[in-house]
Amino acid sequence: MIMSFDEKFDVLVIGAGHAGCEAASAAARMGASTALVTLNLDLIGQMSCNPAIGGIAKGHLVREIDALGGIMGRVIDRTGIQFRLLNRSRGPAVQSPRAQADRALYRNEMRIMLESTPNLYLRQGEITDFVIKEGQILGVELQDTRRLRADAVVLATGTFLNGLIHTGKKTYTAGRSGEPASIRLASRLKQLGFMMGRLKTGTPPRLDGRTIDWAQFAPQSGDEEPVPFSFSTNYINQPQITCFIGYTNEHVHRIIRDNISESPLYSGQITGVGPRYCPSIEDKVIKFPSKNRHQLFLEPEGHNTSEVYLNGFSTSMPAGLQHQLVHSVLGLEEASIIRPGYAIEYDYCDPKELTPFLQTLRIKGLFFAGQINGTTGYEEAACQGLLAGINASLYTRKKEGFKLSRSEAYIGVLIDDLINHGVDEPYRIFTSRAEKRLSLRYDTADLRLSAYGRDLGLVDDISWENFNARRNRISSLHKFLESTRVKRSDVLYQELAQCSGTDLGDSISFAEFSVRSDLNIKVFRSVVGKLYQSSIINNELKTVLADLLYQGYINIQENNYSNVHKYDNLVIPNNFSFRDLSTLSNEMIERFERVCPSDFSEARKISGITPVALASLLTHLRLIPT
Amino acid sequence: MPASDTIVALSTPTGRSGIGVIRLTGPHSLDYTRLLLRDELFTPEPNRVTLKNLHDPETGETLDRALITYFKSPRSFTGEDIVELSCHGSPVLLLRVIDSLLSIGARAADPGDFTLRALSNGRMNLTQAEAIRDLIDAQTHTAVRQATRQLDGELSARLQPVKDALIKIIVPLESALEFVEDDLPKLAAEGISNELVSLAQKLDDLAQTFRSGRLLKDGLKVALVGCPNAGKSSLFNRLLSIDRAIVTDIPGTTRDSLSELLNLQGIPVLVTDTAGVRVSNDPIERLGMGRTRRAIADADLVIVVIDGTRPLTLDDKMIFSELAEVTYLIALNKNDLDSFASSRLDGFIDSVKCISVSAKTGAGFDQLQRAILDSFDFKSLECEGLLITNSRHFDLLRRAIDALHSSQKAFRQRLSEDFVLVGLYDALRFLGELTGETTPETILSQIFASFCIGK
Repeated sequence: MIMSFDEKFDVLVIGAGHAGCEAASAAARMGASTALVTLNLDLIGQMSCNPAIGGIAKGHLVREIDALGGIMGRVIDRTGIQFRLLNRSRGPAVQSPRAQADRALYRNEMRIMLESTPNLYLRQGEITDFVIKEGQILGVELQDTRRLRADAVVLATGTFLNGLIHTGKKTYTAGRSGEPASIRLASRLKQLGFMMGRLKTGTPPRLDGRTIDWAQFAPQSGDEEPVPFSFSTNYINQPQITCFIGYTNEHVHRIIRDNISESPLYSGQITGVGPRYCPSIEDKVIKFPSKNRHQLFLEPEGHNTSEVYLNGFSTSMPAGLQHQLVHSVLGLEEASIIRPGYAIEYDYCDPKELTPFLQTLRIKGLFFAGQINGTTGYEEAACQGLLAGINASLYTRKKEGFKLSRSEAYIGVLIDDLINHGVDEPYRIFTSRAEKRLSLRYDTADLRLSAYGRDLGLVDDISWENFNARRNRISSLHKFLESTRVKRSDVLYQELAQCSGTDLGDSISFAEFSVRSDLNIKVFRSVVGKLYQSSIINNELKTVLADLLYQGYINIQENNYSNVHKYDNLVIPNNFSFRDLSTLSNEMIERFERVCPSDFSEARKISGITPVALASLLTHLRLIPT
Repeated sequence: MPASDTIVALSTPTGRSGIGVIRLTGPHSLDYTRLLLRDELFTPEPNRVTLKNLHDPETGETLDRALITYFKSPRSFTGEDIVELSCHGSPVLLLRVIDSLLSIGARAADPGDFTLRALSNGRMNLTQAEAIRDLIDAQTHTAVRQATRQLDGELSARLQPVKDALIKIIVPLESALEFVEDDLPKLAAEGISNELVSLAQKLDDLAQTFRSGRLLKDGLKVALVGCPNAGKSSLFNRLLSIDRAIVTDIPGTTRDSLSELLNLQGIPVLVTDTAGVRVSNDPIERLGMGRTRRAIADADLVIVVIDGTRPLTLDDKMIFSELAEVTYLIALNKNDLDSFASSRLDGFIDSVKCISVSAKTGAGFDQLQRAILDSFDFKSLECEGLLITNSRHFDLLRRAIDALHSSQKAFRQRLSEDFVLVGLYDALRFLGELTGETTPETILSQIFASFCIGK
């Protein structure tokens, strides 16, 4: 084989969705010459589903991406048209930002961001083959016969691998509506031995806003003071819009039930597994027959379009029937459908075949990120893209990989879950997936992660300076609240006592006072402000208060955790042979060997390992003289 | 570490009994059995009982007629080939059969050997293994039954509904956090609060059985105290129906403390005979006195032995002063003698149970035995059936209860769900240590089954 290439790069990123954009941006900014190859340069950073970023746990991911020096947070802050901090009434650990995006502005801003990145080159074309030598990736081949050389390749193909769209009984191959699927690449991966599976997702119809009777819907506004995603954003400049809430009704449900055989989901036509948390309207009606209405969100797609996203109405019914269904909703009687909803099936690769650095075990230098790993969601994709881009870049420099632990970031939880447990439905992040969610707050992402971003070369000087100033302010405010006590004789004591209603004892520290459940933060701030020598930034005070509030709980949790996990540090020697555990089943042996756990905690987390197998392992580990 | 040798052990408690079960495990179990039967072709159907004569492999002499059960690998307790020989229960006979097996090549099992093999071969989990350890340690039949219950997963079965109920509470709380934009039903605060209380109560009931459970496993500790020559040692011997203690007429003969295990209606009772309590200058006797005081401190129950033929002495009264914090009863001894008067204690002790006995004739001993058992609360043993005997289990239950209480507190203070859930997840984790882990995936599945979630 003649090894001639048209162009040479350090890192190639295939696919310019949310994973690909982060991967390319990170690799390039870390100094690798990087090419981002995509089927259509006009659709960089396309939001193929709903035009929104963030939400519970997902907002945490975006904050973490930003803290590490990723770009998603900055782009959405510049293009978001409705910001809401979710769970405001609940504990700070489960609050999370969410924003509605202007779909076109987002794409545009992302492209500007990438094009202004040194070392980053955009290329359009379809990848049809890999160039591999002795288990090491050397580059890729394009359909137009170009050959691109690279030491590392990040594959971020989203739903394009073998994509198959369903609308009613009609099916056609596509990566997204109106875009071609990657068929040859999918069969090439299969040929290389990757374990492939099939997943499904879907979208609702998009409506023409000029044909909607808006008066029938309840308006939902964004926050008065938008909370941005990026730690570097001070103001949200986009004009903010209103979304609307409506409901389906029994009539809609009856039409669905009467025509359920038309749905490819129920006719057996679709074999891929869909996400349980994004059910189609067919699923909602059939699985919850007692519910007489389902919530719908009307989300305008942007400032310069009348297109409206009918969130909550994902369907793969035939287009004609979709009209009938939409018209049966109060306020949508006259609505016209601009694009019908559809379901799409696509291939994914079993993420258990990945290292913690998202590199494939099969081919050195090949990294996977995003939906190809079985995840769903822009944020889930973006954080994998960031990590894959970082690691691809480190790989080309022969440096050790970068990973995050479960206890320091949701990103760590997500990747750890993927590579250890694999997926059997599209994987979405939830706060409950994190054992230590109380310590993984959205407002502390920079405190947890920015130092890593700086070391990697992804956090620029200005951001780093701002971060350090912020960290110092937070820590001195924290110290001040803990060390300052107010005595009964002090003037301020009366003010505190008044706003608490109960006796405070002879003296109380600000920190002790602050954990009371009836704390009025405004009064508290003004009282503290009278003694504190520098100015107090509101969100920084909130961060300190949250730290104080959770501290007791976190301590208890740590204690319990260490008791329960007392064997976790038992080391499994390098040369330990699971096959010598005479009667582990072959399946168990394979599971152990695939992961090669280095200690008992890693063994414990392997998916599908039975308690009996673990007990057996534990017995042997305890018999090994130390 | 694949086990290659074949081990043998007596599986039933030592001592005279109806039957004694000898168990072989390992690759040669069947070979050794064939040698014992003098039948090279003996190939029993697995899990079926066969009646056969056992012979001394050297002399050919018939040893016993035994029931033989073969458990074929891997479908056996240890995962290896197992042969069980149910012989007649004579200790001498059992010893001869075991000796024969050892002479052929079997190895005598070390304590816990069988369990270790079962564990290594993936035939049991840790909870079961711990129950087995209790089984091995169990000293009497009631304790054996108790250990058997735990082995059957009764503990798991009892905890499972509690765990399910816990998950049922977690689901709406967790949904409220994760799916704030969804159209979810309102939380039933009152119901959740009540449910938390009732769950903690259920676990507490189970944990309460720990004391009785521990007594069952370790035995009740009973100390005999009294003045010199009140007849403690005679009483001790009578209780045990053996001649262990040295009995003389010379006061202060028992200078050491003697302990012996006794089986009272299936409950193991560790009886300690102590030196008499009196002011003495004899250094050896003084040493014995120190031991007596320690025995009192260690005891679950003290039996004060008083000579019913004499008026109460100063020494007797001094004894009562040692018993301030202790559960005790009084054995008024020597009721076979004419000078005995059951009224010796009138006006001195009223509230304490006093039983007239004769260590010499055995009169009153039925009553004494019943009184010993009555002084322990075995109610839970009778009605609950299940007891926590393992201190690790007790500890985990207690932690789970504490965690539920903290959740309940957070809930009452109307703290956000994330605070309430901390305790609930902790409780779930502790119970998981006993019954198997609950993954976030389980919770999520429950959420999606319960509520219509998602846009």
